[in-house]
Amino acid sequence: MNCRAYRAAEQGLMACHVCGLLVQARPGHHLHCPRCSSALHFRKPNSLTRTWALLLTAMLMYIPAMGLPVMQTSAFGSIQGDTIMSGVIYFLKGGDWPLALVIFVASVMVPILKMLALIYLLISVQRQSRLRHRQRTVLYRITEIMGRWSMVDVFVIAIMAALVQMGNLAQITPGLGAVAFASVVILTMFSALSFDPRLIWDHQEQLEHHE
Amino acid sequence: MIMDSIVLQSNSIMQNSTNQELIACHECDALQRVGRLPPGCVAHCICCGGRLYSNPKGGLDTPLALSISTLILFLVANVYPLMTLNVAGQSKDTTLTGAAWAFYQAHMPELAAVVWLTSVVTPALIICSNLYILACLRFRLRLPGVRTLLVWVTRLQPWGMMDVFMLGILVSLVKLSGMAEVKLGAGLYAFIALIFFFTASAARFEPHLLWQRLGARK
Repeated sequence: MNCRAYRAAEQGLMACHVCGLLVQARPGHHLHCPRCSSALHFRKPNSLTRTWALLLTAMLMYIPAMGLPVMQTSAFGSIQGDTIMSGVIYFLKGGDWPLALVIFVASVMVPILKMLALIYLLISVQRQSRLRHRQRTVLYRITEIMGRWSMVDVFVIAIMAALVQMGNLAQITPGLGAVAFASVVILTMFSALSFDPRLIWDHQEQLEHHE
Repeated sequence: MIMDSIVLQSNSIMQNSTNQELIACHECDALQRVGRLPPGCVAHCICCGGRLYSNPKGGLDTPLALSISTLILFLVANVYPLMTLNVAGQSKDTTLTGAAWAFYQAHMPELAAVVWLTSVVTPALIICSNLYILACLRFRLRLPGVRTLLVWVTRLQPWGMMDVFMLGILVSLVKLSGMAEVKLGAGLYAFIALIFFFTASAARFEPHLLWQRLGARK
């Protein structure tokens, strides 16, 4: 789907990333927004490089996040480590499938889908794809909104560890996997924030000009 | 509430009319003129369908009132314990900050900081800044820092995770109820109400209109 609207960058206008004010660009000048003082750019600076760097780090951290235990439960002298997947399986076996689903979707599916979506967006922008501009923009919008919900597992671990402090009877301590998992969520959030969705549309406008 | 989408597309960028504002979509950079929005309406981009801005009903008064309630509920939710766990005569309770403190005690200060920043500090900054900005604009007070705070509120928005924390509380309640007796505390009831009020006040806080009111720096 193509759209015939003029684009701000074509007209030499920069939209402030923070307050949205349109400002006429002056070549050779680093401008600041007259309304909110933020630095002005046509596009987010080094958007693709930053997004890739943060995304690759997040993908690396996903391995320890899934492999290492996120919490250790010690009860009556025995110590048991739980990874994210073993928590899901525990609830599935106990017949508590709605809860298993919530944890599986928020902690396993959302981070993976988010990373795949960003990879697709990055590659399609780099290959200057002319397909499905609107759908890709919607995909970016969903990616940006969904990301924060993965933090739910970190909060669950925090609450459990704060409450279950019964000495020898029962004790829950967070594991190293929780650190790796939180870093995956934060890195993918920063990665999505540094991606500029306007890059998806940039190629289309050049084409229309050449035609 | 019925939200109509009103977008006026212009054929030429040169065309001008007094009550129409030129906006570039922050998602696809399409230039468009948007007329004055009636209260309760949202403007969407003609090109990508992204949300441009809305004109919430109630002007500045409604978000201001909601922000004050949000702040009171925030204080209650942070002072009183969320829940208490009873196991064989022993009991342990926790507040919001207490949950973050658990990571600190487990020698993971970086995680403690992440949990504390996303569930307590960032929401507190957002609530207080919204209140300050709205009060300054509503009562025409010339106090310093309104613009700076509005910039920071916009940047901090994705990092306030009280709603995610609420889901975390629900999940841990189900987890814990299987192994011990859990009592809900006053903090939790305040926190549930807080989520509703915070969401309602955030929906009526429209930075685009606030920036319009502030205008260019003199």
